[in-house]
Amino acid sequence: MNYFLWILVVLILLVIFRVIKGPTIWDRVLAFNLISHKFIIFIVIFASIESTTFLLDLAIIYALFGFLGEIFLIMFLADRVRGGKEE
Amino acid sequence: MIEIISNVIISIGIFFLIIGVFGIYKFKDFYRRLLVSSKVDTVGAITILIGVIIRHGFSFFSAKTLLILALILILNPLTAHILLRTAYVSGHLLENEDNKKGD
Amino acid sequence: MTTLIVILWLVCSVFVIFEKKIVRMILWLFLSSIIASIIYLLLGSPDLAMAEATASAFVTIIFVIGFEKFFNLRDMKKYLKDEKEIEKENKFKRYILPAIISIGILVLFINFAIPVEQNDYLKNLILDRFTIDIGGENAVTAIYLGYRVYDTIFEALLLVIAVVAVVHMSNFDITKVNDGKHSELETSGMALFLVRIVAPITIIFGVYLIANGFLSAGGGFQGGLAIACFFVCRFFIYDIYDLPIKKINRLEDFIFIIIVAMAALTIFAGLIQQVPYRFMTLAQEIYLFVMNALIGIKVALGFIILFYRYVAIERN
Repeated sequence: MNYFLWILVVLILLVIFRVIKGPTIWDRVLAFNLISHKFIIFIVIFASIESTTFLLDLAIIYALFGFLGEIFLIMFLADRVRGGKEE
Repeated sequence: MIEIISNVIISIGIFFLIIGVFGIYKFKDFYRRLLVSSKVDTVGAITILIGVIIRHGFSFFSAKTLLILALILILNPLTAHILLRTAYVSGHLLENEDNKKGD
Repeated sequence: MTTLIVILWLVCSVFVIFEKKIVRMILWLFLSSIIASIIYLLLGSPDLAMAEATASAFVTIIFVIGFEKFFNLRDMKKYLKDEKEIEKENKFKRYILPAIISIGILVLFINFAIPVEQNDYLKNLILDRFTIDIGGENAVTAIYLGYRVYDTIFEALLLVIAVVAVVHMSNFDITKVNDGKHSELETSGMALFLVRIVAPITIIFGVYLIANGFLSAGGGFQGGLAIACFFVCRFFIYDIYDLPIKKINRLEDFIFIIIVAMAALTIFAGLIQQVPYRFMTLAQEIYLFVMNALIGIKVALGFIILFYRYVAIERN
């Protein structure tokens, strides 16, 4: 099971390159979305290795609060970005 | 036996995630990247969580994992939809061939 | 694996400092605090990981609202709810079905009722390591002053920030405060639908975190932030800020005094040692639960004040 955690960390590292590289701001937000969902899977597999139930609360926190922060970030971007250019 | 089955299912899910990360670098437009990566990412997450549920059997752990699966199933595709809609409303254009001819 | 994630954290922190565009800076900040939370989890402190994960989302929301107010870039079409149709649904759909669903989710969260699931992960972790990490002989003191010191420090910091923000920022000459009006944030129907699904789960989860704080990971601060996020969702759904801020501020100060008094009476004066030995664990559990609940309510009220002041301020 530890190999899965390693593969997930390497995938997160590959997606972070897209956050650095991405030509528009929307690519960065998309890559951030992918990273947060990979972290949810990371925590679930980690809790499955340790076989503890309360570590799953952290995954629920990521699913709920990451979503809320992302929604507010997107709302902010809708005002701030015009025609695909960052101001 | 159960562990082998669950490991195989989780490996399939990890394979889906790898395809999603590959799709980010393969396509050259934001909308295509979003289409490929968010769909495949959702499928991978569902597969991995089903593998974890099979590993733990009928227990409290798998019930809680089922709640996380329901949350991901609701939140992940609709977040992608909101991202796409906001990008389209704020004026990020699709770069296909018709647009280039028109310009 | 931990070293690889630490390197990722360093990269994100460097980008936070050297990024010049504000939008990207907020994104990098969110990312770096999420990675920090994973590091805390891997190093064996799930409480701190939860606090970091909740705080990062709330800090992002406050940043977004603050920058949006500062630049005042809302000249897109206003989204005002003229046709606010209050649908008269039947009682089953309004009360009974949400009650059944929330009871079901609460049952899912309870993990101390099932004897099979009890394990000694946290207990062994803290009991094995507190003499090495902090020193001393009392585990409770070690937890409060070592493992849980962020709770106390951030509590004091939060009080300072709330008072400064309320008194100072809303009394500028440049700004004005309008209470009880609709906001002008643009929303889409799908986002509203999603937030309506998420909002009840956040408040159930906050109550669970507070009530279960002394048995597993969690506690007052995390639960209070979750409850505050429920009020953020409420603002997002109804588009109106009609909470009595001054009364909430007074209530928060009052609860702070109660917390200090209770800690002084029970811990410093040694009242909890006077309890007979049979009721010792019961008294300790009641004390921990009440303190967690008070801290949670205080944190929730403080963050509600912060958020609603930021939303209500407008530039002249």
